[in-house]
Amino acid sequence: MAGVTAYAFSGGDTVASAGGALAGVGALVLAAGLLLRFQLAVPWAVLLAGAGYVVARAHHSVVDGWAAVVGSALLLTAELAAWSIASDRRIQEERAVVLRQSLTVTALVVAAGLVSFVLVGAAAVSATAGLLLTGIGVAAAVGAVAVVLRLVR
Amino acid sequence: MTRRATSKLGAYAALSGFGLVAALVLGRPEIVALTAPFLLAVGVGLALAGSPRFTAEIEAGERAVEGDEFDVRITLAASTPVDRLDVFIRLPPGLELVAGKRARSLRLGRGEQRELELTVRAERWGAHRLGPVYLRTRDPFGLRVAEGMLARMPEVRVYPREDTLRRILQPRETQVFSGSEVARRKGEGIEFADMRPWAPGDPLKRVNWRATARRGDVWVNESHPERNTDVILFVDSFAEARGQVASTLDLAVRATAALADAYVGRRDRVGLISFGGILRWLEPGMGTVQLYRIVDALLDTQIILSYYWTGIDVIPQRTLPPNALVIALSPLLDGRSVDALLDLRARGHDLCVVDVSPVPFTQRPASGIDSVAYDIWILRRDALRHRLQRSGVAVAEWHEGAPLQAAIEEVRAFRRHARVARA
Repeated sequence: MAGVTAYAFSGGDTVASAGGALAGVGALVLAAGLLLRFQLAVPWAVLLAGAGYVVARAHHSVVDGWAAVVGSALLLTAELAAWSIASDRRIQEERAVVLRQSLTVTALVVAAGLVSFVLVGAAAVSATAGLLLTGIGVAAAVGAVAVVLRLVR
Repeated sequence: MTRRATSKLGAYAALSGFGLVAALVLGRPEIVALTAPFLLAVGVGLALAGSPRFTAEIEAGERAVEGDEFDVRITLAASTPVDRLDVFIRLPPGLELVAGKRARSLRLGRGEQRELELTVRAERWGAHRLGPVYLRTRDPFGLRVAEGMLARMPEVRVYPREDTLRRILQPRETQVFSGSEVARRKGEGIEFADMRPWAPGDPLKRVNWRATARRGDVWVNESHPERNTDVILFVDSFAEARGQVASTLDLAVRATAALADAYVGRRDRVGLISFGGILRWLEPGMGTVQLYRIVDALLDTQIILSYYWTGIDVIPQRTLPPNALVIALSPLLDGRSVDALLDLRARGHDLCVVDVSPVPFTQRPASGIDSVAYDIWILRRDALRHRLQRSGVAVAEWHEGAPLQAAIEEVRAFRRHARVARA
C-alpha cells in the first residue's frame, strides 16, 4: 500500500500529490482496520488507494504500464490484510495450512499480474476504442481460467 | 454444515464491478488493470470452491475420578480435499485442558484421516457433556465458508474423590439382616452379651460350663447378633456457598460419597435423599451396585433456585424407613432444609447433622455495618446449631480443608454424651 502511495506521489505535480494523499488515506484506513481487526476496512482502503492512483494518472493520456503492478500490489495487500485479520493467535495453524495459503496467494498475485499486464498491453494498442472489448476479453479470460481450474479439480 | 459467502467475496465482487463501470465511464484502461486481479480472484476462487465432504467423531472415557486426566480424541476423515478445516472444542466448567490445543486449523487430503488428541483433567465431580465441537471449512481463497458442529457429544461422569473413614457413626437401632453392626438386642451372634439359666430348647454349644460348675445349675451364654443398619444420607441442595474453586455442595457430595462407600462396605443398606429445588431420592439398598447408584445420583445434584416450600412429607415412606440413621450434610443456609431436619427429629428419626460450614467461603467485611451484619450472621449460625442440639440432634461443623473424620468423631462424641445424659 505504501508503494502504491509513493508511486502516486511520484508524479510531482499538484494532481499527483492529491492522488498520493488519497492513497495515503487508504493506507491509514488499512492500518486502522488491521489494528481494530475490522474486515470491512480492507476494500475501502483498496478503493481509496486505487482512486488515488487514478487521480494521480488523470492528466496522462498514455496508458501506464505499471498499472498491472499496482493492481497486483493492491490484491496482495488485500489478501495479506484479510489473512492477518482472520488469523487468531489462539488457533494453532498447521504448517501445511500456512504453506498452502502462502502458495495460493503467491500464485494468485502472479496470475493476476500476468492478466493485468496482458490487459494493459492490449489497451495500449487501442486505448479508447477497445476499452469495452478489452473488459469483455478480460472477463472471458477469467471465465476460461475458472472453467479450466474447475475441470481440473 | 451451513454454507455462506464471506465478506471478502462481496468486497472483491463490488470492487470488480465498481472498477469496470468506472473504467467505462472515465475511459481509463488502467482502472481495468487495477480491477482485473480482483475479478480473477473471484472467478478462480468460486471455481475452486467445492463442497468438502468429511466426517468427524469425538471419543472420550466415560468415567473418571476427580483429579484424573483422560484423553479426548477427535477423528476427522475426508472423502474430498479440505483446504482448511478449523476445529474448536469448548470444554464445560469442571474440565481443564492439560495438553493439546483447543482450536486447530488443518488441511485434509482426499481420503485422509486425522486424529486430534487432547488431554483433559477432571477438576470437579459431575456429569460433564463435552463440547460442543465447532467445525469450519474454507475454500482456498476464503470466499466461502461452511460451518457446523458435532451433533453427538459424549458425556464424562466424573466421580468425587472420597476421604477414607476409619470410623463411622453407629445407628441406635439395627435391622433384621446380617451385617457388621452388633445389635443391642440378644440373639444368635458372636459378641458375648450376658448369661442366664438354661431353658428347654437351648443348644448344648451355648452352655457356659465354667459358670455351670461354679453355680451348680446349668447356665448358658447369650450373645448379640450382627445385623446391618439402614443409613439415609441427606444432602441439602437448596443453597450453597461457593468460592473460587470449591463450594459447600462439592464438600457435601464428596463426604456423601465417602460415607456411602464406608456403609456399603459394612453390608448396610444405604439410601440417598437430595433435598433441594429438585427433590431426588434413592431407596435404601446394599452392595456395590447401590454404591454406584448413589454416586451416579450425586453427580446430578445441583443447586436449583426454587421458592417452593418442600417438606419431608413428600419423601416416600420406604425411602425413609423407621430406625434408620439419617446423616444430613447441610450448610444450614436455607430455612426449608433446617425445618425439614427439625421435622425429621420430631418424628423420631435418629438424626445427625454435619454442618458443611459456609464461613470459609465468605470474607468478613473490614468495618462498618456490613461487619456487624456478618458477626450477627455467625452468631445466628451458632444459635441454630444449639437449637438443633437441644432437639437431640448431633451437630458438628465441618470446615473446608479439615478431614471429614474429625467431624464424624465430633458427632460420635455428642451421641455418646447424649446417651449418658439420657440414662
